[in-house]
Amino acid sequence: MSESIQTALRTRARELLELGEVSCVIGYERSPRGRVRPAFIYEPADADRLVWDNTCHHNLMVYLHDRKTPPRRGEEVPRVAVVAKPCDVRALNVLLHEGQIAREKVFVIGVACAGMCEEGTEELQARCRRCRERVPIFYDALVGEPPKVTAVDEDWADVVELEGMSAAERLAFWTREFDRCIRCYACRQACPGCYCFECMAEQVDPLWVGIAIELPEKAFFHVMRAYHLAGRCVECNACELACPMHIPLSLLNRKIAKEVEALFGYRAGGDPQTPPPLATFRKDEELPL
Amino acid sequence: MKLTSREQLAAWLDALMERATVIAPRQVECGGGSGTHLLLYQPVASSAEVVFDFQRTAMSPKGYFLPSTEVLFEIEKRSNEVTLDEALPQDEQVLFAIRPCDARGLRVLDALLVEHEPADAYYAQRRRNTTLVGLACPHLWPECFCTAIGGAPDDSADVDIMLYEVDGGYLVSEITEKGTALLAGLNAEETDQPAPVSDRSGPSVPVLAPEAWPALFNELYWARLSDRCLSCHACTYVCPTCRCFDVRDYTRAAGPNGIHIERLRSWDSCMAAAYRRIAGGHNPRPSKMHRLRNRYYCKFNYCPQDFGAVACVGCGRCIAVCPVGIDITEMLGEVAALAATLEERGKGKG
Amino acid sequence: MNERDNPLRPYPGRLVGIKNIAQDIKLFQIELKDGQPFDYRPGQFAFLSAFGVGEAPFGLASTAERSPVLEFAINRIGTVTDALHSLEPGAVVGVRGPLGNWFPLEEIKGRNVVVLGGGIGGAPLRPVIHSILDHRDDYGKLTILWAARTPSLLIFTDEYEQWAAAPDTELHVTVDEGDERWSGHVGLITQLLERVAPSPENAVAIICGPPIMIKFTLLTLEKLKFQPQQMLMTLEAKMKCGIGKCGRCNMGEKFVCVHGPVFWYTEVARFLESFV
Repeated sequence: MSESIQTALRTRARELLELGEVSCVIGYERSPRGRVRPAFIYEPADADRLVWDNTCHHNLMVYLHDRKTPPRRGEEVPRVAVVAKPCDVRALNVLLHEGQIAREKVFVIGVACAGMCEEGTEELQARCRRCRERVPIFYDALVGEPPKVTAVDEDWADVVELEGMSAAERLAFWTREFDRCIRCYACRQACPGCYCFECMAEQVDPLWVGIAIELPEKAFFHVMRAYHLAGRCVECNACELACPMHIPLSLLNRKIAKEVEALFGYRAGGDPQTPPPLATFRKDEELPL
Repeated sequence: MKLTSREQLAAWLDALMERATVIAPRQVECGGGSGTHLLLYQPVASSAEVVFDFQRTAMSPKGYFLPSTEVLFEIEKRSNEVTLDEALPQDEQVLFAIRPCDARGLRVLDALLVEHEPADAYYAQRRRNTTLVGLACPHLWPECFCTAIGGAPDDSADVDIMLYEVDGGYLVSEITEKGTALLAGLNAEETDQPAPVSDRSGPSVPVLAPEAWPALFNELYWARLSDRCLSCHACTYVCPTCRCFDVRDYTRAAGPNGIHIERLRSWDSCMAAAYRRIAGGHNPRPSKMHRLRNRYYCKFNYCPQDFGAVACVGCGRCIAVCPVGIDITEMLGEVAALAATLEERGKGKG
Repeated sequence: MNERDNPLRPYPGRLVGIKNIAQDIKLFQIELKDGQPFDYRPGQFAFLSAFGVGEAPFGLASTAERSPVLEFAINRIGTVTDALHSLEPGAVVGVRGPLGNWFPLEEIKGRNVVVLGGGIGGAPLRPVIHSILDHRDDYGKLTILWAARTPSLLIFTDEYEQWAAAPDTELHVTVDEGDERWSGHVGLITQLLERVAPSPENAVAIICGPPIMIKFTLLTLEKLKFQPQQMLMTLEAKMKCGIGKCGRCNMGEKFVCVHGPVFWYTEVARFLESFV
């Protein structure tokens, strides 16, 4: 299956570049050390560098941020193609709703996805076991057949366990986790939803967080980032996978996703029509807060 | 040379902890019981916490010399009077089981922060207050390339004491007087056993001479290389030689008698988009291409000129940590190939 | 440890005078307390601390010869400058310096000097002008081209008369955009430079201003046949230490703080593409 997807991806990428439809195809390649990493293909001849397997976990939508504003005044933004899993397309959907990316500037090569594995294992990531869409909600071209995988039910077990702790226990838990943070911002930089020109964590005027790499600043940064992703986090796990300190960031994001789902019956990026609840204002809205 | 057992070494460490802060590799549990671990240099309260068998810690130990955050000055300000107190570090530290590459990283930082005058008072004081106990690597670990860059897995040039693991314990080599002084109290026997020679085989990584880099500055290669860069700070924070910092005041307390301010210094990263942005908005390194290129030029071209040292020791951490697979050894190989191509082309024209 | 051994230590200075010299630009006069020595030359800079916010580097706008106090012309543009602008005379600020190199005024004796200042970039050039005027016979013709975006942003306006009246000295002032009271030249400094067209013969051009102004002024000077070894500039960069440690101000292997801020064009030509 992976192999036929890989062949189809290469063919499609080559065609798009040969026809001049796009200036670059963003996909995956294998590094000389054998690990999969993001790839930028500019020449049709390089299309064979593209690979597909169950370790293509990076959310490539993050690279569309670089390309959303003209590099120099007056210069056209070149159209690019991007390889996108169903979760990645949901992230793109969030960006489209927020007016961050022009749809016509991106050619979406959707991939039917059987799920990504935990690093170094053949075991599906938890989020992939729960995944409800194996085919992206939209695309310009689809590669692969919808896989026959039955999703396990979302029971929020990890979040429920956290909710079961006392406040003091929860504080102790997160203190231990956030304490390891080195404020490298890999989580934020890997996140398609984090595109602020100036993050509140680095803003100096007004100074929200400050420069110290200490527990209060770390905790504040992570909690604020999670809030800023409320109703926007698509659970691609890019943050957690990028974190060099193994902080369980998805747990934090999932807690908020659970609240958003309970309050609004909304899953981030889930459908192209419904705008995100926290970017919507309804006069008659009442929430059970 | 002395021979000691792991138990005797542990007893010596426990005794040291009475009078100095002992920093050693320690296993840290992550993710609330998810089973993942990180190995970090951390202060230990007992030798039982020390991990003796390890490859590489996730972070370099540079933070014990240039902390990720430190107070430079305690400032008291009342109406129109200001008093400043230097917060110079006083603690005696022992860094146990530092790897030769990390010790060499400190030599690079010494060149930048101490030998290049004026010396950084805080870093210099921590260096004076710290004794380095090195632990040789038997061979190179995954991602390591110290031998390609002038180091060796058993290089004892930059430590005060060097340990080599052998059958039945450790060989202890006293390198400096500071090291000898620290060893008082270690139960060990004299031996004429020679230090084992580590296996130096490693990847062949061509490192272009500093003077060859300027010719490549404007190559498209840098844009292509940085395409996948996320502009996070991970590579610079795990690096044993990156030392960029930021300084800012924090008001800690304000009352009728004035305000108490701390002037803090924290790590900063040249990879950050706003790193060079000036108050008016101008940014001389606006794209990640500018920034990643600058990082590598800093290591292999600028630091050799300014401080006489290549600012890379081949520890491989930046390779291991990069979320998107940017690999400094791959870059070095490609840059060398590019230089060769350009030279060929130049000859063709000439 | 000797206090002198900590190069990051600021020394207390008292604000003895604050003058509004242009829109959002004040001239700060600082007297160092306790007779702290401060031996500086035109072109050098110092860090000023607004305690509680932080410190930032500023070019010295005075000469020791003329002024018993240290003078800095500061534009309110960021957090530190904002805090400095809110201070009243008598307040204590931190001073760390002098730092960096200086204009080679000895080396260029006997030559004609063209000074090009744009906006707040004129501040570190004032000591150059003062030094030349105070040793008028040591130099050839002095041509000052002075610019700002608007008339209200022109700095040191109260000195123009004195500058223009000095022997063998020309002052040309321009603004990008005039207003109802402005009767002088309107246009970019590059246009003014082309019109004045100072001769490159035995001349040195000294430039300071925003990056974009430096970039185009250099191009115009080249058109006027000035050679790179005849162009001096003083550069601005974000800095945290001023002593070549924090890594923030590098331009290639040059640190603006220790190898500069004054550079010959020949030293930095290959880096200016990324800098300006």
